[in-house]
Amino acid sequence: MTVDPSIVRSGPMPTALELADCLLRGDTLLADTADHLIEVVDVLASYGEVLDAYSRNLIYQAEQQFLNPLPIFRYLDGDLSFARLWRHLIHDRINFEYAEYCQKAMLWHGTGGLDAYLDSEAFAAGCSQIIRTKTRRDPLLALLNPLFPGFVPELIRSAATTHALGQFWRVMSDLFLDLARAEAAGEVSSIAAVVAFLARGLGAAAAQPISYGVELAGEHFWVLPPEAGLSFLADVAVPYVEAVFLRGMPFLGTVSFNAQAQQISPDQQRFCYGALFADPLPSMGAGIPPSLLMQDMYRHLPERLHSWYRHRGRADGDVRVKICASFQKSMFCVTNAAIAGTMPYPPQGAPGPALEANRAYAMAWGARLATARTDCLA
Amino acid sequence: MLSGLLLIPFLGAMALMLWPGEPAPARIRLAALALLVLQLLWSLRVLLAFDPSIAGMQLQESLAWVSSLGLDYRLGVDGLSLPLLLINAALTLVAAFASQAVSERPRLYYALLLVISGAVNGAFLSLNLLLFFLFYELELIPLWLLIAVWGGANRAYAATKFLIFTAVSGVLILGAFLGQALFTGVVDFSLSPVLSEQLGLTSQIVLLIPLLIGFGIKIPLVPFHTWLPDAHTEASTPVSVLLAGVLLKLGTYGLLRFCFGLFPQAWAVLAPWLAAWAAASVLYGSLAAIAQRDMKRMVAYSSVGHMGYVLLAAAAATPVSLLGAEFQMVSHGLISALLFLLVGVVYRTTGTRDLDVLRGLLNPERGLPLTGTLMIVGVMASAGLPGMAGFISEFLVFRGSLRAYPLATLLCMVGSGLTAVYFLLLVNRAFFGRLAVTVPTDPVADARLDIRLPAVPWLQQSPAILLTLAVVLLGLIPGLLGRLSEATTTAMAQLATLITAPGVLR
Repeated sequence: MTVDPSIVRSGPMPTALELADCLLRGDTLLADTADHLIEVVDVLASYGEVLDAYSRNLIYQAEQQFLNPLPIFRYLDGDLSFARLWRHLIHDRINFEYAEYCQKAMLWHGTGGLDAYLDSEAFAAGCSQIIRTKTRRDPLLALLNPLFPGFVPELIRSAATTHALGQFWRVMSDLFLDLARAEAAGEVSSIAAVVAFLARGLGAAAAQPISYGVELAGEHFWVLPPEAGLSFLADVAVPYVEAVFLRGMPFLGTVSFNAQAQQISPDQQRFCYGALFADPLPSMGAGIPPSLLMQDMYRHLPERLHSWYRHRGRADGDVRVKICASFQKSMFCVTNAAIAGTMPYPPQGAPGPALEANRAYAMAWGARLATARTDCLA
Repeated sequence: MLSGLLLIPFLGAMALMLWPGEPAPARIRLAALALLVLQLLWSLRVLLAFDPSIAGMQLQESLAWVSSLGLDYRLGVDGLSLPLLLINAALTLVAAFASQAVSERPRLYYALLLVISGAVNGAFLSLNLLLFFLFYELELIPLWLLIAVWGGANRAYAATKFLIFTAVSGVLILGAFLGQALFTGVVDFSLSPVLSEQLGLTSQIVLLIPLLIGFGIKIPLVPFHTWLPDAHTEASTPVSVLLAGVLLKLGTYGLLRFCFGLFPQAWAVLAPWLAAWAAASVLYGSLAAIAQRDMKRMVAYSSVGHMGYVLLAAAAATPVSLLGAEFQMVSHGLISALLFLLVGVVYRTTGTRDLDVLRGLLNPERGLPLTGTLMIVGVMASAGLPGMAGFISEFLVFRGSLRAYPLATLLCMVGSGLTAVYFLLLVNRAFFGRLAVTVPTDPVADARLDIRLPAVPWLQQSPAILLTLAVVLLGLIPGLLGRLSEATTTAMAQLATLITAPGVLR
């Protein structure tokens, strides 16, 4: 059977070695074209707007809905007006469910300092204090806690991840919106400049402390105290990339995985269902969280990119698929910036142990990204 | 009034052919659509003039033609033929609307469509056997041309096969009609039943068998069905719509009007065997459909199976079963037309109908979500799910036939269950999963394929939407059709009182 080539296209699939070489040379993973610049900058501008809403809501949930057994109004950010409720009911709203999905991915694929702290004795001691105070006025929790002693600490871990993700996205939202402003001002005019801008932003926020406390009965309690020494890059940003960009969760799209047939690795570290691996096609189906993000970005799409989409494919008919493809390009840029920022040694050094260390680091990333949606990079 | 249903398409076809100069294809198409809309309106006028309480022929028109040969121009309509006239008018219009891709010889194409529609009208309206035969044969050559000229790659084979089978069908039918005149010595060719006082039972059976085979080819019933899947596979979408929706009904109409109507006593003798034949046809058609990999062949084999219900109902010949047969003809006409339209959309968009290749067409953004949705409704209707036309017809057929032929009816019910099997296979393979239009190879590589199917405009899908609405409407308000046909089918069932022979499957 011959298939019309205009119907099916297959992008290139660079090997792990090619990707590693690209990283070692200091080249950008994404090809430096004018179209890519529009896609990346504008989709990140849209993403920045969405992340702003996600961030505010996650922080609101962690602080104001803490241990609320029935948080049915958690997406309303405390605004219980009829107009807000109506807009929510007719779905004129941001899909905060996607933010929760990412939070759950982070909690489940916990790595880095945050995850280590959530399993520490200091955290457990903090939890005990909080539970003691909370159960004095909450009969439901007072009943549940002795029956299921692991339940409330897990809720607190979840709240801590929620707040940490909210803080992370606060930084990223500002960074992406700054990028859009810089591009509009002519300060950024290439993909390489975008990657450099993102790397600088990540570097500047790298040491920013991450902490989280709640008010209970007029008393302040630390869930993630400053003394824990958690910082933006190592303890939240890198685990976030690991959980959401790389690992993700397998039960998403229209492709089914049979865990019993070993189609899903029993080793979480080998998961590759994250944003960089996601198939842009299964969008808008029930229970497929990435499509919720695409819908949210569609609401905030800059006119330049929207117009660019209107002249391609089915115009607005498949706009979410196109947003997803652009989003993956932008996420490769963010990953590119993160890899560049975390290389063991400065790139393009003289031959020697430093270069070997860089090569090993780049090869490890190349191997992980080799099966990602690198077809969008050309 | 009834002659209008012949004049509009035939004069219209002539006008298209005689249109001076080289009119643009779009203008020819527009003119054909206008003529078919006029034909539909005229059919509705007949509907308004029709009195459903009368069982016999109405609005009769008569004109002596070649009386010495027994050939008279006599038209009439009853509850059996009126619904078929209506779906002929509707589905020819649908077929013409779905012919927007026809750019080659549009003048001839639309003229042939009109001739077929007129011939089918004539066959359903004829009250004279020879006149029926003339119209029955008249649709043959245009349809052969439509397949042979505008068909697929293997169209010559399919068209010739169709021609040979249907020509044999015509010869058998003509032979039976002439044999009746020969045996009875009366050159009448009217629709009056032939009873044993006029003709011995053996002679009746001898005449009925070629008639059964003749119409069995047209319906088609196993083992005379092999022309149909080939014809459908090679025919263009509009021709498949006409073929499945209307032309096959000439066979079932002939079965009820001529086989059962002319030879009720012989029919009673053969009825148990006919019920067995129906069950075999239903099961064979359904099992063959399961084995198909081409969507169109699958729908074609489903027609073979579903037409068997009409034979079962006719064999049982109870008021309920005959009403079920009428429902089945109409609902199968609508549902199969709908399914062929949708398969046509899939083929035009993807370039394939191969179920080993197509996947995930229900994808909301890059697939064919509306087509997929309508297809799901269509296959549900075909499988006889309540709330849709297929349920009413199958329920009436089974309810009406169960007491007379319980085993054959139960086997047909299994066939109905098998419909769900093969259509679920079709929907599951082609419409669910990750969108793909190529043979699956490496899962990772396949998941990276960027599929860019062109969008199908709503206007192009409007006939399918209207057919879907009709299928649901008929399922929810079956009285719309039942009221039209009940008096006629009940009167026909009174002939069943003549049936006395015990059945082999009884």
